[in-house]
Amino acid sequence: MSSIVKTEDLTFDYIRRDEEGNVEGIITAVDNVSLDVKEGEFIAILGHNGSGKSTLAKHINAILYPTEGTVYVDGKDTSDIRNLWDVRQCAGMIFQNPDNQIIGQIVEEDVGFGPENLGTPTEEIWQRVEESLRAVHMYELRKKSPNKLSGGQKQRVSIAGVLAMHPKCIILDEPTAMLDPEGRKEVIRSIRALNDVEKITIILITHNMEETIYADRIFVMDKGKIAMEGTPKEIFSKVERLQSLRLTVPQVTLLAHELKKAGLQLPDGILTAEELICQLS
Amino acid sequence: MLRDITLGQYYSTDSVIHRLDPRVKLMGTLCYIISLFCVKNPLGYALCALFLCIVIALSKVPVKFMIRGLKAIILLLLIAGFFNLFFTPGDPIWQWKKISISKQGIYMASTMVLRLALLIMGSSIMTLTTTPNYLTDGLEKGLGFLKVIKVPVHEIAMMMSIALRFIPILLEETDKIMKAQMARGADFESKNIIKKAKALVPLLVPLFVSAFRRANDLALAMEARCYRGGEGRTKMKPLKYKKSDAFAYIIIFAYLALCIFLGRMLFS
Repeated sequence: MSSIVKTEDLTFDYIRRDEEGNVEGIITAVDNVSLDVKEGEFIAILGHNGSGKSTLAKHINAILYPTEGTVYVDGKDTSDIRNLWDVRQCAGMIFQNPDNQIIGQIVEEDVGFGPENLGTPTEEIWQRVEESLRAVHMYELRKKSPNKLSGGQKQRVSIAGVLAMHPKCIILDEPTAMLDPEGRKEVIRSIRALNDVEKITIILITHNMEETIYADRIFVMDKGKIAMEGTPKEIFSKVERLQSLRLTVPQVTLLAHELKKAGLQLPDGILTAEELICQLS
Repeated sequence: MLRDITLGQYYSTDSVIHRLDPRVKLMGTLCYIISLFCVKNPLGYALCALFLCIVIALSKVPVKFMIRGLKAIILLLLIAGFFNLFFTPGDPIWQWKKISISKQGIYMASTMVLRLALLIMGSSIMTLTTTPNYLTDGLEKGLGFLKVIKVPVHEIAMMMSIALRFIPILLEETDKIMKAQMARGADFESKNIIKKAKALVPLLVPLFVSAFRRANDLALAMEARCYRGGEGRTKMKPLKYKKSDAFAYIIIFAYLALCIFLGRMLFS
């Protein structure tokens, strides 16, 4: 499988300037990160606030350019201005706040916004809009105003909007942070379906560990560096390490960990309640 | 409480006028305004009023919505009527000390009021029968020729449609901030105007800050979705003229020509 997103020694500094433009301080948000994401993978990037995960995400969509190092999306260097629109079309991005990324006044118009920008012919736009809305199960609500939808539904509209641009990869920057538990479930279900059915590469950025259990690989970030890397099972088995990185370990995993410490015979890295029940009985 | 405000004044129904292309309606409104200033005799005014009545009947919009638009300018109508009535020189038919009403005064006052009323009703037909969306689309397409002289038509239309999308969101936010301030003892219900104005400052500041943050987020989201201005952009719902639109154009221009002709005829 070929790699879709690749970073080589990516470093990004936020430079803070005073009113005269003198450098007041430099904050290294992303520090020497090298990743390689293969086509069709489901990647999760975990980290607490200020760990640099959002900054990293913005590089993949060519919103930010590396201070040092290179980012390749589908083999194209993102810092080359000629690749800008190809990169953004290939790697779609979903942001945190569902209200601030919907442009259209009707659901279907918002989904059509991306293809319109790409210069897609009118009939094909309609076809793409229908496909995308069906993929996230929002087709019935296509004539509604986005203001009348719930948070989870709005976020699914945003996903459909990106999907209509036919990306190979979708980056989601904390898409569930502002949603209620029901909305979270809806969004995560849609993301997994896209990965399974449409074979779209997913890069999910989150601080909620429960959302990462379906990922193929997890990267844990801390202070701009990649602190841990591995499959969910590998990551979740290192409970102490995760807690030292200020991440909230899911209750089930924590319970299993405590039970094991107390002397019960249990394998490491239990992810779901069903798994724990199965192991206990 | 703020959520109840309805935007624009679109009246949702299905009629011949509703289905017309927004460009036709824009042009029609413009022609109607011109025609109002061309006519100079009772016959002309009758023609204008008749034309408006037919359009209102075709649009299926209840007349009370038209009257509602007039309420906003009732003061203007009264003032215009008053001054024309009392201060037009001519043959007096009623006199009391220095104040007099002349024949010409009555004629001027009534035509002025009629003209203004028709003007407002005529232009409200457009907003009543066209969704804000189609209106911006119509403006973009209809004023496209201005691009030649470097008027950013697409950008203006995009700004209008984004503003329309965000007004309900910002209203909701205002509501939230107001409630948060009220919970901490702010007084928005005071009758005192100065107090009221003072209470608005802590409301507007957070609202502006949040509006700018939203604008920033939205700009980022638009760029992430490959937005790069109007160049090379296709339309999901392109405006297309139908047969009825051509027919409407013919009627509008015939009407305008008739009005100009009537105005000329009686003066020559």
